Amino acid sequence: MNLDFSIIPKYLPFLLQGAGLTIELAVLGIAFGILLGLVAALMKISHTPLRYIAHFYIWLIRGTPLLVQLFLIYFGLPQLGITLSAFASSVIGLGINSGAYLAEVFRGGIEAIPEGQTEASLSLGMGKFLTMRRIIFPQALRISIPSLGNQFIITLKDSSLCSVITMSDLLQTSQRFASRTFASLEFYTAAAVLYLLMTTVISALLRSLEWRLSREIRTRGN
Amino acid sequence: MNLAYMPKKSKVDNLSLPEKSMINVKGLVKDFGKNRVIDGIDATVSAGEVVVLIGASGSGKSTFLRCLNGLETLTAGEILIDSVPLESKSSSLKRIRRQVGMVFQQFNLFPHLTVLENVIEAPVHVLNQKKDFAVKTARELLTKVGLLDKQNCYPGTLSGGQGQRVAIARALAMHPKIMLFDEPTSALDPELVGEVLTVMKQLAEDGMTMVVVTHEMGFAKEVADRVIFIDEGRIVEEGSPIQIFSNPQEKRTQTFLGRLSH
Ligand SMILES: Nc1ncnc2c1ncn2[C@@H]1O[C@H](COP(=O)(O)OP(=O)(O)OP(=O)(O)O)[C@@H](O)[C@H]1O
Ligand SMILES: [Mg+2]
Repeated sequence: MNLDFSIIPKYLPFLLQGAGLTIELAVLGIAFGILLGLVAALMKISHTPLRYIAHFYIWLIRGTPLLVQLFLIYFGLPQLGITLSAFASSVIGLGINSGAYLAEVFRGGIEAIPEGQTEASLSLGMGKFLTMRRIIFPQALRISIPSLGNQFIITLKDSSLCSVITMSDLLQTSQRFASRTFASLEFYTAAAVLYLLMTTVISALLRSLEWRLSREIRTRGN
Repeated sequence: MNLAYMPKKSKVDNLSLPEKSMINVKGLVKDFGKNRVIDGIDATVSAGEVVVLIGASGSGKSTFLRCLNGLETLTAGEILIDSVPLESKSSSLKRIRRQVGMVFQQFNLFPHLTVLENVIEAPVHVLNQKKDFAVKTARELLTKVGLLDKQNCYPGTLSGGQGQRVAIARALAMHPKIMLFDEPTSALDPELVGEVLTVMKQLAEDGMTMVVVTHEMGFAKEVADRVIFIDEGRIVEEGSPIQIFSNPQEKRTQTFLGRLSH
């Protein structure tokens, strides 16, 4: 056995730089995904033909692999004259992908709010939009936070696929050094540990956020 | 049965004015699919009048109330609120709903907002009141319902009676001309019913126009100007509390009241 982890510290700054890009991709991707997911959720619960567009989007994205989606955006779109940087392709791909899952999360959250909340709000003279923004959505978001956090972690891990479309994220950086030094086990172990570190920290942050936001709702009577 | 009916209040100011109709319902019909739930109701409620609706479960009491503030679309007929027709356009609905407060059986307080925030929500976001002003009004209303000390609590920490009193204050914060109550005490433990009825009684004495669905016959006898008995979506009988409770004319009213007193 020739394991030698002493090689890692020398490359650690590069790995951390890769991890930085990983976080950046995940954060921007999930932010875009939240936006898309919200719009898709609202379309889906609307009683208008818009809901079919949302259905189609969710069906299409959840039924195809993320890597294929990334390839289509980065390698496929230029054929239609749309050339995006690898970074933009990655963020868009991660956003479109997580958005499809978040649409269902938000829809579930919104539908979990009792009808009486909407009725009380409407009967105070608040309009439909105001009711959604001030009454329903804040409560739905609190319910959705565990699933939202879960999706964030999935997106962070999924962002490793962006290494295939030339992003120098944590995985690609590790891969580069692994093949250069033949220390595959060491570098991929280091990558795994860094991914684990990131997901663990995110989980902890989310748990505390969830706890703070649900304080009042947890004590809900009746 | 002697009900010892006492005229509850001297409506001097109302008597000196010509009766002004606050709610005017003409030929109201409401279908849910093939199910006709309101089957031709005509009714008028005058300013300052307190009307109690009674009737068996499923007779259409809630549906009738919900029609009055546009929570249900009408199948046929017309509703005038303070002489303004209720239309299904959302701008018209919003304007009417600002003037018609509603209190629900389940309170429907907003659980993510504190008591004070619940009360100022609509004044600030619908009437565009300045927050300071809305807070001042809200504190006055909370004082009136005896809950100023709970202003920073979340609804989840309140008892049922407290929750319902907050819901009343929340509706009053919009300065409605009419208040609708749909079984406001039915979800409460018996010992908490009184505190809510007291607030409602106070409101009636202040001259609020009220339509109340309730099984609290004591409240109806003491506070109502008129009792309406509804069955199968129709008004079967109406009259003063003493007429309806001590001397009902219709067989169906008698049967209903007979069942209630057992
Ligand atoms: N949204 C709805 N869709 C379909 N049917 C409905 C709906 N709301 C009410 N109904 C029906 O209309 C009828 C009258 O209901 P409503 O709630 O007005 O009765 P109620 O007199 O208030 O009864 P309760 O004393 O039980 O509250 C019932 O048969 C009910 O099933
Ligand atoms: Mg009812």
